[in-house]
Amino acid sequence: MDEIQNLRNIGISAHIDSGKTTLTERILYFTKRIFAIHEVKGKDGVGATMDSMELEKERGITIASATTHCEWKGHRINIIDTPGHVDFTIEVERALRVMDGAVLILCSVGGVQSQSITVDRQMNRYQVPRIAFINKCDRSGADPYKVVDQLRQKLNHNAVLMQIPIGLESKLSGVVDLVSMKALYFEGPNGDEIRVDEIPDTIIDEALARREEMLDAASMFSDDLMESIFAESVTPDLIYAAVRQGTVSRQLTPVFLGSAYKNIGVQAVLDGVNRYLPSPTDVKNVALDIDRDETEIPLEADPDKPVVALAFKLEVTPYGQLTYLRVYQGSISKGDDIIITRTGKKIKVGRLVRMHADQMEDLTSASAGDIVALFGVECYSGDTFTSGGINYSMSSMFVPEPVISLSIAPEDNKSQNNMSKALNRFVREDPTFKSYVDQESGETIISGMGELHLEVYVERMKREFNAEVATGIPQVAYREAITKHADFDYTHKKQTGGSGQFGRVAGFMEPSEEAAYEFVNQIKGGVIPTEYVPSVDKGFQSCLKKGLTLGFPVAGMKVTVNDGKSHSVDSSELAFTQAAIGAFKQAYMRAKPVILEPVMKVSVEGPSEFQGNIMGSINQRRGLITSSTEDGNFTTIDAEVPLAEMFGYATVLRSLTQGRAEFTMEFQKYSKVPESLSEELKSNLRKKSKGEK
Amino acid sequence: MKDFISVSPLRILEKSSHKGLGPGNLGVLVARAGVGKTACLIHIAFDKIFRQEKLVHVSLEEGPEKVASYYNVIYCDLLKALHLNDDDEYRFLMERNRMTLAYLNQSFDLERLEANLKNLTERLDFKPDTLIVDGLDFEKVEREVFEGLKKIALEFETEIWFSALSHRHISETSEKGIPYPCDRFDDLFSIIIQLQPEQTGIFLKLLKDHDRYQIPENSIRLDPNTFLALS
Repeated sequence: MDEIQNLRNIGISAHIDSGKTTLTERILYFTKRIFAIHEVKGKDGVGATMDSMELEKERGITIASATTHCEWKGHRINIIDTPGHVDFTIEVERALRVMDGAVLILCSVGGVQSQSITVDRQMNRYQVPRIAFINKCDRSGADPYKVVDQLRQKLNHNAVLMQIPIGLESKLSGVVDLVSMKALYFEGPNGDEIRVDEIPDTIIDEALARREEMLDAASMFSDDLMESIFAESVTPDLIYAAVRQGTVSRQLTPVFLGSAYKNIGVQAVLDGVNRYLPSPTDVKNVALDIDRDETEIPLEADPDKPVVALAFKLEVTPYGQLTYLRVYQGSISKGDDIIITRTGKKIKVGRLVRMHADQMEDLTSASAGDIVALFGVECYSGDTFTSGGINYSMSSMFVPEPVISLSIAPEDNKSQNNMSKALNRFVREDPTFKSYVDQESGETIISGMGELHLEVYVERMKREFNAEVATGIPQVAYREAITKHADFDYTHKKQTGGSGQFGRVAGFMEPSEEAAYEFVNQIKGGVIPTEYVPSVDKGFQSCLKKGLTLGFPVAGMKVTVNDGKSHSVDSSELAFTQAAIGAFKQAYMRAKPVILEPVMKVSVEGPSEFQGNIMGSINQRRGLITSSTEDGNFTTIDAEVPLAEMFGYATVLRSLTQGRAEFTMEFQKYSKVPESLSEELKSNLRKKSKGEK
Repeated sequence: MKDFISVSPLRILEKSSHKGLGPGNLGVLVARAGVGKTACLIHIAFDKIFRQEKLVHVSLEEGPEKVASYYNVIYCDLLKALHLNDDDEYRFLMERNRMTLAYLNQSFDLERLEANLKNLTERLDFKPDTLIVDGLDFEKVEREVFEGLKKIALEFETEIWFSALSHRHISETSEKGIPYPCDRFDDLFSIIIQLQPEQTGIFLKLLKDHDRYQIPENSIRLDPNTFLALS
């Protein structure tokens, strides 16, 4: 049990370019997992250790999260480095799902930016306790105090400084630890040697005031600390315990600061991870018992209990499929049999490894709380593994629906084969990436969460699979939805010699906000025999794939069947499926269908002088601006904008703001397309179908 | 819509000779901490929104998400109190007629507000009928700021509502009956309303109505839970 208590599973999340990968690199160096430091986009051409994909190294951004493992002062730390761009949000979501705590990195110049807000919202959804690290305090314009205020105002964190900087910008030389009230200087070629000294006179008053603030905040979580403050007998251990209590309960966010690039303050962050973030035993995890109507079952981080583990990431390596696994309960050893809950299939644990970016270390067993990887297991991302005897599934991860699609075509025969292989792999790795063949056009369509998301996959096809593909114009995932109640009463009757087909279906359809599709069976007296009811349901479902207005999938429909008729000889499953299809066609247009389009929550951030330009650009895109926030010299504009209008916005924004503004977007909702555009869509589709003919 | 307007705290202005604040004018709601100034200001905002007027909420302390959540909470309370169902039409009015301008970390100044309002008007065709300014510290703000705000109200032909914090321990009022801290600027405000908890409920008292002070029959009672006007 002691070992589990000294285990930390942490994510490192933040805004793009705030230094996540650089911090991770330093952590690996100080924990002696690597023996030299390579920079992101570094001149040495090696690239940072966590950016293992070639594309990531080239672009200087982290795309797929790489897990790694290290040890610091008797604690084992599993780290998942996560991407900063919102298009790769599923990676962040997956990381947060299996993490017990996180380090939120903020840039001391840029502060809390729109992406930090998105990531923070995700962390709240998974109830992840966090500590914050304000990075880049050596940069010109660094203002960590402003960032702490933003943590409070923009993210509603009860943020409390555990340190203050000694100097700032180019004069940053170390930090003052407000617990020990000592100055820490990070010396030696890579900041390996920590020199502890007295606090410089010039900042002693500031340090005392900030320590008092910190004690005030921490004492809310410990009566012992409160009493010791009155008795003037505060000890570091009392502070650590109180801050830990506040952090684990997500009511306090301890804030550290420094510069990962200049090797200042990184070791203190590691101490913070050990001291304040929870171990697997501090976090409540539950599984759903499939045999007991999905009752929630609390899991215990006990190695002796039956195994429950979650596959949270798949990666296909040259040596076969690698499945990243978080063990929640029990332990897994090489040679054990484990069962995939979804399929009931038994598999033997072959090679069990602990990942370190793209290198690995073989293990003989892994216990509750651990994050490891299995080789050669055929499964999907999100699968639950158990040791048998129990039929548990971990609650499913939140997977957003794709909002954008793109047609792709291989440029030659060789690419055709490779493209299929690539798509097969990507679909297994990433549940937000989908691929299918459009039956009408015969085109291969890929869909995902944004332009960049799809762009990266197309690039990966070329680089990793040697598949040259041509891409079409990105298409928005439109939907159709009915707006009114409409009755149906349809009889399917066919007599073609021999036994015929007969089925009558009556009821009504209406809009539903609860679900994409709902089927309500209100048939009384067996007018439709029970064995045919699923066929009625199936008939309606088959119509949802293609609405009758413009052929887009139908969303938000509730179908209630309350009457019908059958024939003892001529009724069949097929007859009732056909009757339901006829009923759908009969009622659908009367239910006043409309076209829906995905609307994105867009956040644009840039210097205040460009507020007018940014507002104008959003307005031109049918955007609805909901707020504008001024902070320092920057403005953040929040808006809702139809996705169809956002193509190429990055380029427009760059030219409008001299490249000084940036934006993030995520799916918000489906909204009705304005009448004029709906007509335009209809005429475009008509033209397209004429052209095809 | 009529339901909302009939219970709005702005019914106090039925007692005003001008039946309202009016474009180009400043109005203030003064109360002690915790009495419900922000809630009352948001009710004023709803009154305007449901009259299909454009509203800008200027927040000097909270970010836009928090402001939006205040509106949502009060909107839900309103529906509950009026036994109404949530309706797309109400949501549509709220989306289209409300804009939040937040100024964090002391980034508020008159020049910036003026530029922002200009951008709203010119770039978005969003010409505000009313501004709600929440979080301005009347004890610290200089007279010039209110003079500047009055100019902005005139320039954009908008009315501006403020909230002011009074203190239990400072009971001084001007000769005209205006309490601290509004007594220093009462000439700049056309409407001054006091929100006051009493044993029988919360009362809104009209202390100044354009050029009239010490108005008789000047109060209405509010529901202490919902801040809606009681008949």
